[in-house]
Amino acid sequence: MTKFVVRRLVWTIPVVLLVILLTFTMMKQIGGNPFRQTERAVPASIQRNLERKFGLDKPWYVQYAQYVRNVFTFDLGPSMVLRGRSVNAIVKEQFPRSIQLGGLAMLFALVVGVPLGAVAALKQNSTADYSAMVVSNVGFAVPSFLVATLLIYFVSLKWGLLPTSGWATWRHKILPPIALGLGPMAYFARLARGSMLETLQQDYVRTARAKGLRWRRVVVVHVLRNSLIPVVTAAGPFLGFLITGSFIIETIFAIPGIGRYYVVSVQARDLSVTMGLTVILALIIVVANLIVDILYGLLDPRTREARA
Amino acid sequence: MRKRWLWPAALVASLLLAVAGCGGDDEDGAGDTGGETAAEQVITVNWGTEPPSLDPGLASDTTSANILLNIMDPLVKLDDDLEPVPTAAESWEVSDDGTTYTFTLRDDLAWTNGDPVTAEDFAYSWKRTISPELGADYAYQFFGIQGASDYNGCEENCDAMADEVGVRAVDERTLEVTLTSPQPWFLQQLAHHSFLAVHRPTVEQFGDTWTEASNIVTNGPFRLARWEHDSRIDLVKWEEWRDADSVTLTRVNGRMISDGTTAVQAFEAGEIDAQVGGLPPQEMQRLKTLPEYQQYPALGTYYYGFNVENITDPNQRRAMAVAINRRAIIDNVAQADQLPATGYTPEGTPGFDTLNPESEWLPEEGDIDRAKELMDQVQNPKTNINLFHNDAPGHREIAVAVQDMWKELGLNVTIRAQEWAQYLEFIGPPPSGDVDVFRLGWIGDFVDAINFLEMWTCRSGNNSTNYCDENYDRIVEEVQTGNLEEDERFDRYAELEQMLFGSDGAVPLIPIYWYTYVNLERENIQETFNLNLLDQVDLTTVEVQE
Amino acid sequence: MAVREEVVAEHTAAGAPIRQSSLWRDAWRRYLRNRGAVLAAAVFVLLVLYCLIAPIASPYDPYEVDFSQAYQTPSWAHPLGSDQFGRDLLTRTALGGRISIGIGFGATIAILLIGVAYGAISGFVGGKLDDALMRFLDALYGLPYLPFAILTLAIFGTVNFWTMVVALSVASWFTAARIVRGQIITLKENDYVRAARAVGARWHRILLRHLLPNTLGVLIIAIFLELPGVILGEAFLSFIGLGINPPNASWGSMAQDGYQAYRVHPHIIVIPSVAIATLILCANFIADGLRDALDPRTRET
Repeated sequence: MTKFVVRRLVWTIPVVLLVILLTFTMMKQIGGNPFRQTERAVPASIQRNLERKFGLDKPWYVQYAQYVRNVFTFDLGPSMVLRGRSVNAIVKEQFPRSIQLGGLAMLFALVVGVPLGAVAALKQNSTADYSAMVVSNVGFAVPSFLVATLLIYFVSLKWGLLPTSGWATWRHKILPPIALGLGPMAYFARLARGSMLETLQQDYVRTARAKGLRWRRVVVVHVLRNSLIPVVTAAGPFLGFLITGSFIIETIFAIPGIGRYYVVSVQARDLSVTMGLTVILALIIVVANLIVDILYGLLDPRTREARA
Repeated sequence: MRKRWLWPAALVASLLLAVAGCGGDDEDGAGDTGGETAAEQVITVNWGTEPPSLDPGLASDTTSANILLNIMDPLVKLDDDLEPVPTAAESWEVSDDGTTYTFTLRDDLAWTNGDPVTAEDFAYSWKRTISPELGADYAYQFFGIQGASDYNGCEENCDAMADEVGVRAVDERTLEVTLTSPQPWFLQQLAHHSFLAVHRPTVEQFGDTWTEASNIVTNGPFRLARWEHDSRIDLVKWEEWRDADSVTLTRVNGRMISDGTTAVQAFEAGEIDAQVGGLPPQEMQRLKTLPEYQQYPALGTYYYGFNVENITDPNQRRAMAVAINRRAIIDNVAQADQLPATGYTPEGTPGFDTLNPESEWLPEEGDIDRAKELMDQVQNPKTNINLFHNDAPGHREIAVAVQDMWKELGLNVTIRAQEWAQYLEFIGPPPSGDVDVFRLGWIGDFVDAINFLEMWTCRSGNNSTNYCDENYDRIVEEVQTGNLEEDERFDRYAELEQMLFGSDGAVPLIPIYWYTYVNLERENIQETFNLNLLDQVDLTTVEVQE
Repeated sequence: MAVREEVVAEHTAAGAPIRQSSLWRDAWRRYLRNRGAVLAAAVFVLLVLYCLIAPIASPYDPYEVDFSQAYQTPSWAHPLGSDQFGRDLLTRTALGGRISIGIGFGATIAILLIGVAYGAISGFVGGKLDDALMRFLDALYGLPYLPFAILTLAIFGTVNFWTMVVALSVASWFTAARIVRGQIITLKENDYVRAARAVGARWHRILLRHLLPNTLGVLIIAIFLELPGVILGEAFLSFIGLGINPPNASWGSMAQDGYQAYRVHPHIIVIPSVAIATLILCANFIADGLRDALDPRTRET
């Protein structure tokens, strides 16, 4: 197991190099001037000073090499637009919020979705099953911006129960994860239902039942455990998606996370921030996938042997 | 970062000068206002965005300016009539030739750490901003000072050139500034945040992070109590400030909700007391009916520029200008009671009555018959028009409306949206050859028409129209270098406006409207919470009433 | 949301049988037996027809600006109301649907084409090239999908149908490639492919005549599985202001307009959102039906 984890961690190095190279190349193609944020022209001498200050006067390969060196010494450089702030500081302050948001959304999706799917499977073709499936189908299909808008309108404005925006106390942290996690929740419910149904038909479950084991015990020990494998497999990429893809939710709820900021930095041509955030987002995805593989191994010992 | 005043392009307007004038409260704050002062003097303001920097040298946007001007003490500030009044500077003298200013500082100025504020602090701060090492966007604000431009562009011997810059601390309380030419607007300019002083030991100790709440040393009516980036920025009253007695508010909590719809929701849920700008255009109709709705005239013009090398015939440009129904755009699209522009320099600028051309090419409701007549006189009209705009909210709506209006002239308009950074590069100057018409806005840096009119000179970095007239340039130069009386200056401005929009004017651009700023403000602060022409709020005069 | 494909892979990769034309007929019969899927397909066809026909049949010009008609609530004259320019929303929604659905299918097909090319080469050639390509793919897996879409759009600077298709497919074909490779490798070991090799058939003939057609079933399912993610991706990008340029609109950019006006005119956000949701629901049910129909193994459950 340790060997497997170490190997995967080492594997992140080429991933990061690739991400840097791609992002760097793309940013160089974009054009635009990070030092001209308004309609005001930047006088030539000022432009030159700024380029010198941020090393943009050097040839691209020098810039690239410099950047790679910085990344591997954990220094993502200074922001070109938020003058005086380093990318490290931005990441340190704003990233935890995005992770929290993504994590809570994931938690909501799993805690609601899996039981929903399990109940539906155990009572296949009952009213409970049908309503669960309606909920999950609709939940998956409705875009999160509509969900968020409806939640804010009713819960915050009409009923005054929770704040409309921000990310300070627990009261701020209820609506956004629900809006973000609804889609994955619906998806997990369907996934859990499908794999439960499949497991329930397996021989060993039938045998266990025939042997007279208590049904509840069979469900908890065997069925649920085995049915979780596909859910866990899907959860990894979803976690990555939830953390990197929360642009809309962060904007609508004014959450000072990384998602919204990413869009802004691309638009402002804040080269160092865009690159830094892309690298970090890529790392998140790699780590999320790694966690899934570990969980996968824990749930299913066969794969652990095979992969190690 | 999206600056607040980039996109209110869409929203803003200007009527009711009277609204802005209300209160009449000045330095001595409370007392002459109507309502009773409430016990708790805490408000929450949504600034709409993170201030990109609280370093006076580096800040280049309104949010930063608004915070800075309330935590720092400027040499002068502008009163309600936009006249410079003394603040940190007690008085000043101007030499006869108009090029040397000598300021005397008050004797009770202090930094929050107890150090006195000296003339040397200002000299240090200004030279720091000019220096090539800092890389300040707004270094050009100082280019009217002798030697500043050279120092900023220096390649070698920079230290020597720094000493040549015309800013000198004569003694602790005397600051002497030498300009390259008499610039009657210099005092107006001084109210700009880039002329604030910074605390040298703090800057040198902390480097880039000196503006963080835990490090910063300030000298204004409020202190920076907390700055949680991209989330909140809280100011508290600094009790030791020289004029602290006049300040009523004890705390100003700042939020940074960038999305207009979200901000309005937060306002209506009672989470914020003042929403500064950024209201969604689609909701204006409803918001305008709220008692909390407030609007202020702005020093800014929203315009459509021509690439005069593509649309060469002035009659076609005039026709296109005359075809635009400004009233319809303002009422249906922009929706914040903006003023239909009758010239380039906006209302509110000193000398406006003299300089405004009341152009016949800019009729409020458009005149399609006249436009068609003009169009008929055009020899080789360009009928396929590429109209470019940046893809921020509001612009495309106006473009769609204009597209429809020009259709009646037989013009086939293609609207092309670009993302801001690319857009700026694309329209130059010089503009890409594809550009026939582009939209832009200009918000004044300081309150003088020169800031608007000098941008249409041949070599201006802000002139993307390719319009170039030596006579125009000559008049601008005359204003900039000849020590003109105020009346003479306004006459020159009028000439310039005539060259652009008079009967024989070249019409290289179509001013659409003059901006307004629109806020939502709780009724208990409405009377005292006011924006000036430059989109700034003076928090020292604000008070919460019962 | 490329995740979903892995589920297909699980269901089909293991032992995809060699299909013949009668199998397609069987599949068709099985599909018709699934009432949900049939209903979804019918709704889907209606939706597409509406998008194609409404702009032609409508008495309104979808681009004509008429401020006197702005923000009409639904009525007989405007069954879905009108937008801020007084444009009929029934007509505009159809127009937006053309773009949304078009981009959806365009990007999905682009994803599958790249995926098939990459996966097929990797799986068919095998050996060191396969190793290298798969290692590279592993690294690509670290790329965040939406950020790269945003970067891509920024490079183009202007958003139209094609740039949107490129942006949505540029960082989302990895799973497709992996599935196709898996399929090809499994099929390669099949007797008839071995037989074809034994008689000396050319490699491209094997690939084109035997291997790719047999992955077709999976690919058709994959189109409908991938579609919701792509449609949502387009909607998200439009919603954050990176949508298609006016006067054209997609359902995402219409929803963004509606979001800003929702307090007074809620129908403007609801209509495109419901359209998006309907499309995604249909795609899901169709995919389920196709999976059951094309893959007999799961039919039993």
